[in-house]
Amino acid sequence: MKTIEFKQLDEILYYEKLDNGLDVYILPKKGFSKTFVTFTTKYGSVDRTFVPIGDTESITVPDGIAHFLEHKMFEKEDGDVFQKFSEYGASANAFTSFTRTAYLFSSTDNIYKSTETLLNFVQEPYFTEATVNKEKGIIGQEITMYDDQPDWRLYFGTIENMYHHHPVKIDIAGTIESIDGITAEHLYTCYNTFYHPSNMLLFVIGAVEPEEMMTFIRENQGKKEFPEPTPIQRFFDIEPTEVAIKERTLNMDVQKPKIYVGLKAKDTNLSGQDMLKHELSVQIALELIFGRTSDFYERVYEEGLIDETYAFDFTLENGFGFAMIGSDSAEPDKLAKTIMDELAKYEGNSQFDRAGLDRIKRKKIGFFLRALNSIEFIANQFTRYSFNDMNLFDVVPVLETLTVDDLQKAFASIQGETQQTVFKILPSKQDAQ
Amino acid sequence: MFKTIPFAKGVNLHIRQTTQFKTVNFSIKWRRALTAKSASERTVLTNVLQHSNAKYKTTAAFRSFLDDLYGTVLYFDTSKRGNEHTVLMNVETVNDHYLANTSVLNEVLGLLHTAIFEPNLENGVFKESVVEREKKTVIQRIESIFDDKSRFAQFRLQQILRPNEPASISANGSVEEIQKITPASLFEAYQSMLANDKIDIYVAGDINEEEIVAKLKKALPFKDRTPEEVPAVLPQQHPDNDYVREQHEMKQGKLHIGFSTPVRFGDADFSKMQIFNGIFGGYPHAKLFMNVREKESLAYYASSSYASHYGLVFVVSGIEAKNEEKALSLIKEQLAVMQAGDITDLELEQTKAMLTNQLKESLDSARGQIEIFDQYKDLPEEFSVQAWANKWKAVTKEDVVAMAKQVQLEAVYFLCGKEQAAQ
Repeated sequence: MKTIEFKQLDEILYYEKLDNGLDVYILPKKGFSKTFVTFTTKYGSVDRTFVPIGDTESITVPDGIAHFLEHKMFEKEDGDVFQKFSEYGASANAFTSFTRTAYLFSSTDNIYKSTETLLNFVQEPYFTEATVNKEKGIIGQEITMYDDQPDWRLYFGTIENMYHHHPVKIDIAGTIESIDGITAEHLYTCYNTFYHPSNMLLFVIGAVEPEEMMTFIRENQGKKEFPEPTPIQRFFDIEPTEVAIKERTLNMDVQKPKIYVGLKAKDTNLSGQDMLKHELSVQIALELIFGRTSDFYERVYEEGLIDETYAFDFTLENGFGFAMIGSDSAEPDKLAKTIMDELAKYEGNSQFDRAGLDRIKRKKIGFFLRALNSIEFIANQFTRYSFNDMNLFDVVPVLETLTVDDLQKAFASIQGETQQTVFKILPSKQDAQ
Repeated sequence: MFKTIPFAKGVNLHIRQTTQFKTVNFSIKWRRALTAKSASERTVLTNVLQHSNAKYKTTAAFRSFLDDLYGTVLYFDTSKRGNEHTVLMNVETVNDHYLANTSVLNEVLGLLHTAIFEPNLENGVFKESVVEREKKTVIQRIESIFDDKSRFAQFRLQQILRPNEPASISANGSVEEIQKITPASLFEAYQSMLANDKIDIYVAGDINEEEIVAKLKKALPFKDRTPEEVPAVLPQQHPDNDYVREQHEMKQGKLHIGFSTPVRFGDADFSKMQIFNGIFGGYPHAKLFMNVREKESLAYYASSSYASHYGLVFVVSGIEAKNEEKALSLIKEQLAVMQAGDITDLELEQTKAMLTNQLKESLDSARGQIEIFDQYKDLPEEFSVQAWANKWKAVTKEDVVAMAKQVQLEAVYFLCGKEQAAQ
């Protein structure tokens, strides 16, 4: 077991790569009474075309299958795993994103029993046609619930506008039609391919004794057999730089229009320090242009073009990336134009100023230190960073090195006019434009 | 947990010295009786105070200053509890220990004074342009509930159950009352809040107690006051068993059901009622989740919540509109079986374990410590996790059955799509 110390942060991280390939990290937190454990596979909704383990030909599986699989992991021959966690007083949950599926629990008691339950339920699949079919009703209602949420439709509508081929444009849960085609056999194929320990990461944080916990995990894993790890082959079509659809409108039962400007990123084939630097640079650039201290914000707020729903964000994973800026707005077209005009000001020569950069750096350092109070934040973010060969604890040192030039260079990746798209949701009574 | 120090008459300071967090947290709560008028004024007020002040006259100037203080977080919010309305101001700043050669704590204390006592005025009252802008913002926030069908359905159910009562008045107030606000009336509400409200001040973090008390006395010159007593919510009953159906343009059906219970927060039976709610629909092992979702695949979510200050239990579920009757009868059945005594030892033990764990977990954040202490501090016995764990431990199956028997269905609200309703 290795230890990595972060002196300035008062944190010590324990790490071991087990014989079966599983990465295990343990971070004890003084003063905490709970322990939070996440068990995550590098497998999400975008992994739909791949070569199944032991095969040679690639297949494409039905949309929504990673999420469906996440649901079905909880049901076993002897009942629902939630029952067991409740018995130990542990709150369990799971989520599926574009690139990850995570299983987790938090608890103040029975930590070893819950950790064992987590490891075992994720590593003992049990799927039958009957249980798979039963789940279709439940997930169907989950999909319907999201269909009624205008903010979710706005978010996904904007992504759909941006991408021609990349499966990031497919809703994580799939559609009622696509999940209808899912079988137990599909689930086993995906499970066997993506849930190999060498494709997974276990993060334990909180009131935990690191040596004892590592031994416990090592023994649990040592008792199980897995095939030899093989690299997973995933396939993605070549994605053009420009957006697929420039502008689209959806009518929904809302009281005020909603609008997002989406900026599709190029240069998404990044990992490690390059990715961390790029990601932080774009975030800071967006903060300088669109943050609450910007001229832009002051102007659109005073003009009444935005309200409290105003938000901007940047997402980056290997193979895709995008920024979004938007708000509920009585004048969605005017807001879209104002956003685009603002972006145009930053073309060519650097408009980013040093003082602003330093201010946002301080803000982000403060945010990061605050976030370290949250063991959920650390576990989830550490895993995401690690899957992209980045280290969460490098954020502050990398932030400190950033220059105005870095911002300009990174920002250029989301700046082209052909990379911009607009998605609007208009009240049903108003006509679509 | 927190040490309580009288700060002024009607104002208490609660301090917790701890090295658990990398930040220092301040929370100030102003309380008075909840009415649509008071909630409206105080919510607009929080927006106005958050927008700017005499020292930082624009949002950009104010936010730049906060960014410079290592992204110190400062926000105002409003909430309600029983018949009481609360304005709260939260400030969280990085502990100096983690910053190389910088001290932000003193600046943050100065900021508390500026944000509360040095408003951005014009002709002796709040600036009209700011007030009008923030009125619009809050109205927009209230109206946005329409876009979120779950929140809308819950809002409608509360209106049907307890019209014009604190149980159904939003902590944000109402559009009608907000429209009446003027810069002068808002300034009056502000002065009254500072002078007359009951106030609790919280500090949690790695601080020197003596030093922080002395500095807070300077930063927060609150005068003595005699706050008016806010009465507890009186027991009420919805006269008729209402069943209201409404349609929006949407796909899913939202089934929201209101039940009443005579047991309130702090009553002798309160801990028993918490166990009842846990078994009924509070957790993934609960009857609602196991039957409505897992067994019948009718829903993605089906759960209950206990609004203990109002003596209400809410059940919510998202279903296909055609399954309305089936889901409703299945939900009623879960209550009926509990009333008939069908509660297993496992369900009882699971619920006790979950409640205890939840309480312990919530103490792992400074905000959680403040909120839990704030909620329990007015009860006669001193708060401790162990004391509550013991109370839950003592609850028997018979106790839960007795609780279930007092739970009564009062109203059903069903919101669904127009096409589905026509079928």
